[in-house]
Amino acid sequence: MSTTSTTTERRTEASVVEQKASGSERSGPEVVETPPSRRDRVLAWGLPLVALCVLVAGALTWWRATGHDQEMVDEAALRDRVLIVATSHIETLNSRDYRKVDEGLKGWAAVTTGTLHDQLTSVSEEDRKVLAEQEKISTGSVMEAAVTELDDDSATVIAAVEITVRDGSASGEDAEPTVKRNRFAADLVKVGDDWLLESLEQVAVNMS
Amino acid sequence: MSLLVRRWAPFLAALALILGLGAFWQADRERKTDHVGNRAVVDAEATTEVQSAVSTGLLQVFSYDFSDPGPTAAAADEFLAGDARKEYDLLFKQLQEKAPGQKLVLSAEVQVAAVKSLDADSAELLVFLDQASQRSTDKESSISAAQIAVEAAKVDGQWKVTALDLF
Repeated sequence: MSTTSTTTERRTEASVVEQKASGSERSGPEVVETPPSRRDRVLAWGLPLVALCVLVAGALTWWRATGHDQEMVDEAALRDRVLIVATSHIETLNSRDYRKVDEGLKGWAAVTTGTLHDQLTSVSEEDRKVLAEQEKISTGSVMEAAVTELDDDSATVIAAVEITVRDGSASGEDAEPTVKRNRFAADLVKVGDDWLLESLEQVAVNMS
Repeated sequence: MSLLVRRWAPFLAALALILGLGAFWQADRERKTDHVGNRAVVDAEATTEVQSAVSTGLLQVFSYDFSDPGPTAAAADEFLAGDARKEYDLLFKQLQEKAPGQKLVLSAEVQVAAVKSLDADSAELLVFLDQASQRSTDKESSISAAQIAVEAAKVDGQWKVTALDLF
């Protein structure tokens, strides 16, 4: 018997709470009589606040993550570009045709800077004549190349170059071209928007 | 106002929570995505690591002393794998046969090792290597300059040369 009565009492309590709750909902904020319980306040303000923090932190983290390796991506693109330019310039400097000496020198001047450029632009008339009389056609071809150092405006590249020399003279026309392989190290600098060769040197044998 | 807040706050909070967690998840995915691809040179630390491993390895496997071939064989075990290992074993066998008769000593030095391409577990390098050979039987010595295209792979945290192309 006693058990039944307790249940009834509880029911009544519950219905009172329900009434109170629905009552406060119906009335405006001014007429809230009982202060909201601790749990209610936490639910109403704490949770949204935490959720907002999570949202802001998440958004920030995402935003920071999107650009996390952009610097490396840019540098990698620069490296690839420098390598292509260096390969082309090194081939230019290792190629010459006795029939087009002036044109060749112009080409060399166009891809160089600094002292190397000065040397190549101050080739005397006599040397030009010698170049023309040698009757040789050299063609340089970069077989392998790689960047060893890279900055925003300077770079070092090494290259394995195959140079094919053909004899252009009447007597040497049927001769087999000679092929030699050289190791080169080249320094490049950025001049304006262009990368130019500042030095091109053979990597000689150097045993200590 | 309070009424609206009270009614919608839980939903908005749940939404913000879901979006926030979603953003964290996206950030994590983004961080794990590799946009760089080839990390040669641009990842200085990794580049130096493979450079020095390959340099040390090549220096040791291309150095040889007829009176003490042990270190060379050990270096081959440590630094070579795959096709490079197979090819080298053939060379080494020939060397072992003729070296004692000629009293052959080879010493190698790496001039430059440049990394062409690099990712987490594979790399390609261009190496300029000098090798001096001395035969004490006829006091003949020579020095040769080599250009080698090298392929390397990271096996159990250690870079090993898997292909050697001398040209």
